[in-house]
Amino acid sequence: MSLFEGLRFRPGTTFIHRLDPRVKLATSTMVLITAVIHIDIVIILFLLMLESLVILSAKVQNLWIKTIRGALPLVAIVFAITFFSQYSREPVISTGLGYALTYSLRLLVFLSSFSLFFLTTTPDEIALTLQQLRVPYEYTFAFVSAIRFTPVMAEELQIVLDAQRARGLEVDKGPFTKRIRNLIPVLVPLLVNVIRRSYELAEAMEVKCFGASRKRTSLKQLNMSRKDIFFLVVVLILFSVGVSVKLLGLEPVKTLPLLGQFFPA
Amino acid sequence: MSAIFESVHYIYPSKVHALRGVSLEFRPGELVALMGENGSGKTTLLKHINGLLKPVKGRVIVEGIDTRTASVAQLSQVAGLVFQNAEEMFFESNVFDEVAFALRNFGYSEEVVRKRVEWALKFFELDTYSSQSPFLLSGGEKKRLAMAIILAWSPRIICLDEPTIGQDSLQKEKMKHMIKMLNTQGRTVLLATHDVEFVAELRPRVILLSKGEVVADGKCEEILTDETLVKKASILMPQLVYAFKRLEDLGFDSRVLDVDEGVRQVLKVLRHESV
Repeated sequence: MSLFEGLRFRPGTTFIHRLDPRVKLATSTMVLITAVIHIDIVIILFLLMLESLVILSAKVQNLWIKTIRGALPLVAIVFAITFFSQYSREPVISTGLGYALTYSLRLLVFLSSFSLFFLTTTPDEIALTLQQLRVPYEYTFAFVSAIRFTPVMAEELQIVLDAQRARGLEVDKGPFTKRIRNLIPVLVPLLVNVIRRSYELAEAMEVKCFGASRKRTSLKQLNMSRKDIFFLVVVLILFSVGVSVKLLGLEPVKTLPLLGQFFPA
Repeated sequence: MSAIFESVHYIYPSKVHALRGVSLEFRPGELVALMGENGSGKTTLLKHINGLLKPVKGRVIVEGIDTRTASVAQLSQVAGLVFQNAEEMFFESNVFDEVAFALRNFGYSEEVVRKRVEWALKFFELDTYSSQSPFLLSGGEKKRLAMAIILAWSPRIICLDEPTIGQDSLQKEKMKHMIKMLNTQGRTVLLATHDVEFVAELRPRVILLSKGEVVADGKCEEILTDETLVKKASILMPQLVYAFKRLEDLGFDSRVLDVDEGVRQVLKVLRHESV
């Protein structure tokens, strides 16, 4: 549940909070692309370190830690799958561990970059950003509603979980397959409630004349300040360096060769 | 004792202090209504009985078990909780399996499961819907199914969270009848509700909560007719009480909770005047 905490906006007055949402989105996207094109652990660690600095300056470290804690089971699954798939190709423990660690850290980079964006950007700013990127308003509305409803869903999940536990369901007991089966009594009511809620929301929007006007206007307009442009230029330079390193084949180290000392082939 | 609360404090992760030193005792076979405004701690208190919430300070003893040392599944076998929107928790393809789900979780044999499910469905007048999808039942039937689910394993304590919400008067009448029957079977029944009229008809012991504290605990006719106490818990008195309070100058007693009693008083005064 704490994974969803990272998608909920928290008001703040830091430099990161005040940044233009388009700059934040561009930064998150560039971090994501850099993490995707590299499988070099040093570069991934460098990205994670940069993100940590931004998170600290945005003063959202506690929520970020909560998000990461919530994502740990997912990270563990990625670690295990990567290790075993790599080991089956090349039966060297150190290489398998190196790749598994890199892919797990890469997932943390993804999560951190988008968590930072959602934690410091209001749903209205997200909607404005998408609108200015010429995304049709229907899709923008759907996306922003999904973000707005995430905490509600998390709360609902807890209620359903409590209700089924009161009926003797023990989600975290038994072998893995049983635990997966035990999720059905939780997921079915949740899905039914989500569908019901989406119908209610659609009706409420219809009643409020959603889509009646073709050309929408906004009370607020996004304007880039000098600080925004400066931040974007710095990020663009770093991104160019990251892409160049890949294109020129200058990556410092692929996995972790030192691991070979502890796990000889 | 069915359940004992000893100076129980509970604070939600959102830092809301929901219970502040609550000390209560629930005797076996007692019918109790927990009343108070939204956020007064009624649901939080009920969730402590089957261990969904554990006190941050103090302790809760249910049928001799300290809730801090037992799992929700263990405690649920002695204390069943019907959630406010329990009908939104259905997931099985038919009513029979929906009721059988908990019994199977508790490890009953299929023969016992069948007998208990049939008995519970009959008790709540749902036996004709056994093979029907629970999603196709009416609002009142869904509420009764939610109660049948809990009653199927015969817990000694039954907790009902807002049982009358969204129910029409006929369903409320049925609900009242069933709660009385459960109580006469010797079960401890705890209700968390805002519905003063419903409580007035049931005549349970009433506990008023406000901001996580017990502000009154006593007989229904004493508490629901006390304007100061009722105001403190941000609820209203039953309409009959308001009506008879206006007639107090004419010699009427305002502690009237049901229509029969009110009619008796009116007839008594009318007869007295006609003489």
